[in-house]
Amino acid sequence: MSAPQTSTPTSSPIADRLRRAARDPVVVSGIAALALWVVAAIVSPAFASWSQILTLLMLASFLGVIAIGQTLVIIAGGEGIDLSVGAVATLAAIIGSRYMDGSNENLLLAVVLALGAAAIVGVINGVGILMFRVPPLVMTLGMIAVVYGFIRLYTGGRPAGSAAPALRTLVTGDTVAGIPGVLWLWLALSVLVIWLLRRTSYGWRLYAVGGNPNAAYLSGVNTKAVKLSAYVLSSVFAGVGGLLLLGYTQTVFLRLADPYMLPSVAATVVGGTALIGGVGGYLGTIIGAILLTVLDSFLRILQLGGGAGDAPRQIIYGLVLLVVLSAYGRQRRLRQ
Amino acid sequence: MASTAFLEMTGVRKRYGGVTALDGADFAAEAGTVHAVLGPNGSGKSTLLKVLTGVVAPDEGEVRLNGRALRPRGPRDTAEAGISAVYQELSLIDDFSVLDNLVLGVEPRKRGVRDRAAARRLALPWLERFAEAFGGRVPVDERVADLDPGERQVVEVCKALVRQPRVLVLDEATASLRRRQVEVLFDVVRELRESGVLVLFITHRLAEILAVCDRATIMRNGSDIRTVTIAEVPERDLVELMVGELAAAESTESSATDEVRLDVDGLSAGRLHDATFQVRAGEVLGLGGLQGQGQSHLLSALFGALKPRAGTITLDGETVQSRSPKQAVRAKIAYVPGDRGSQGLALGRPILENFALPSAGRRAWLGIGLSRKRELAAARAVAERISTRYGSLDDPVSTLSGGNQQKIVVGKWFPTEPRVVLMDDPAKGIDVRAKAELFHVVRELAASGAAVLISASDDRELVELCDRVLVLFEGRIVDEVEGDRLTEETLVSSAMHITEADRAVATTATADTDPAAPEREDS
Repeated sequence: MSAPQTSTPTSSPIADRLRRAARDPVVVSGIAALALWVVAAIVSPAFASWSQILTLLMLASFLGVIAIGQTLVIIAGGEGIDLSVGAVATLAAIIGSRYMDGSNENLLLAVVLALGAAAIVGVINGVGILMFRVPPLVMTLGMIAVVYGFIRLYTGGRPAGSAAPALRTLVTGDTVAGIPGVLWLWLALSVLVIWLLRRTSYGWRLYAVGGNPNAAYLSGVNTKAVKLSAYVLSSVFAGVGGLLLLGYTQTVFLRLADPYMLPSVAATVVGGTALIGGVGGYLGTIIGAILLTVLDSFLRILQLGGGAGDAPRQIIYGLVLLVVLSAYGRQRRLRQ
Repeated sequence: MASTAFLEMTGVRKRYGGVTALDGADFAAEAGTVHAVLGPNGSGKSTLLKVLTGVVAPDEGEVRLNGRALRPRGPRDTAEAGISAVYQELSLIDDFSVLDNLVLGVEPRKRGVRDRAAARRLALPWLERFAEAFGGRVPVDERVADLDPGERQVVEVCKALVRQPRVLVLDEATASLRRRQVEVLFDVVRELRESGVLVLFITHRLAEILAVCDRATIMRNGSDIRTVTIAEVPERDLVELMVGELAAAESTESSATDEVRLDVDGLSAGRLHDATFQVRAGEVLGLGGLQGQGQSHLLSALFGALKPRAGTITLDGETVQSRSPKQAVRAKIAYVPGDRGSQGLALGRPILENFALPSAGRRAWLGIGLSRKRELAAARAVAERISTRYGSLDDPVSTLSGGNQQKIVVGKWFPTEPRVVLMDDPAKGIDVRAKAELFHVVRELAASGAAVLISASDDRELVELCDRVLVLFEGRIVDEVEGDRLTEETLVSSAMHITEADRAVATTATADTDPAAPEREDS
């Protein structure tokens, strides 16, 4: 050998890689999700059945799609968060169902209108946050009330219509290779978003804006445009999630996607996207969405508390989230 | 045992990373004097006083006040020992009244409850003493936010005085004051001296030192050079003491051409007033003077990050209206900001992304899709040119040393092929070797035909690196130095603004900075 490598006295590369993996939130939550699923399968063997796994993934896909935008907004930083995703998803589902009205005829129009309405909410969020400097938390929280108010006005309190058969087939029926269409769709969107974040100038700018808005601005990045786009994309993906939910439930009700508001944030953060911005990615969010869905289903089959209904489940669900999130927080501080 | 001074600091050392701010400085001062601490930028005078006030913890060294050792854990401890400081950056709470600000932290209490009457008795005498500085009124109940900058600075002084200090530190406290306010302050300082208070005074205005100070300690390169009695030393000697013996500056070969690249006419922005100058292609133009005299504002205005009030910028014969950095980048202007941590880099992101940020769009497919291979190749090519050492391009940029980080802030602009490069104190806080390599990079940029504008907090850097230096004072270009005149001594005396004619102008400029004033000719 002509050029002998001077071996540095560090530990072996394998041990090094393992140590790094043990600190990677994506790996950690992946292992946590798997472990939880194994425990659930032992407690209730039905959990391990193929159809049950597909159902779990399908439930996770709604959360996963809604959390796409959440991930983008949180990466873009500046205390970015979009609490209006649940309301926007509901809005899209309600508009979609009225125009579809149970037939395939107006499917395209319905989808365009639903996503268009969602995008408008995103633009309003972005303008409020960027032009009028309303804190994202306050702006999107306020937007929930506005959107639900609008929904009441629009539906008169009684949502009309139902999902188009084609949409229903996409979500629940017609499987390709034994896997429901909605999972294929989620896969396609995931590849798209991960590519967007990792291999496009837009994605790199988004990370830079989140990592250090001053540096990004002084490197010629239009930071406001980047952030605005994140909020618009967030609403649009929430809209897509709402339409998928519509395909699943067939008919809509007024608070359809409400339960996805905080879990979308939780899935993102559990997956390693830091609330300070500039850190993380969508792969983690996918894992986070699956982890939360497994946890939720597991707590359901345990049927805790008997007569107390949902309450004990919710308490445990919340506590688990708090434990996981605080574990991440401490890790980050140690690394700095 | 030798008789000890009232305040004694011995062997004080402080390092920030690889940079030595204080290198075994000794300092002694007596009660009942006004003592100036002098020195060029980066000589350690501010750090020395911050050690005294407990803001900065020294690595080594001892502070003794009145014979007792002082080991402060923070400004609170030194305040109890009777040391009060007034800094240029204000420590007032905008939404509080003047009174509340003055007694903040020392609120008089009666049975555990705030005693407003006592607070008033405590604060009012000082405000009345400074009434003239407030234009004849006593703004005790006014909100601080409603005061102008000069008045706020006076409140800041009162806040220090309310604490009845035995040692009063005035660090650039006069910078935003008008002449009348400075006069009142100096009257008070003289009274304090009579009553046995030690006043430590940092200012960049030599005239003020001559007017009010008894003694002066001259600092250079982190240690004390000499302590003198002001009345016994001619001011020329003071300047000479500050500069020290001149190391022969390495002369670098100029790559300046005759082609005018950047033409700035009457530019006013922020602190900058009416700057007119030209930079030729291949030229390295320095911006000298004391810190904060408008150099940073000039650079950010040229980059579109600060809105100009007036003036035109012409680049290669075409008028540039850079209303945002984005447009400036498009016009092939590059900017290296003064604070790489908060402005230059996304520290948590990979080196690769930081490199690519200004130029990634150019290499992208359809302006969007990036090829990792191409990005890596582009980053590697630059890293090699500027001899940056790194582990992997995927490591966060925060894993690099300060010098290498700074090289990335500069190097990321290479792929944009800049025509104008603006650098705000790029060598700040990096070690000697990295500095030499950085200067090599700057020279290379100039040799490739770019016009380089560079400010530096260290005059020696300007002498080494620049073809020509503009000296700024209080927002105006007051001198232009090149050729044989380009020495550290000229820069320091020019920065201090101590020619006879200029001193008169400087004092009027203190009284009122009028943006509409006609451009002054250089002497």
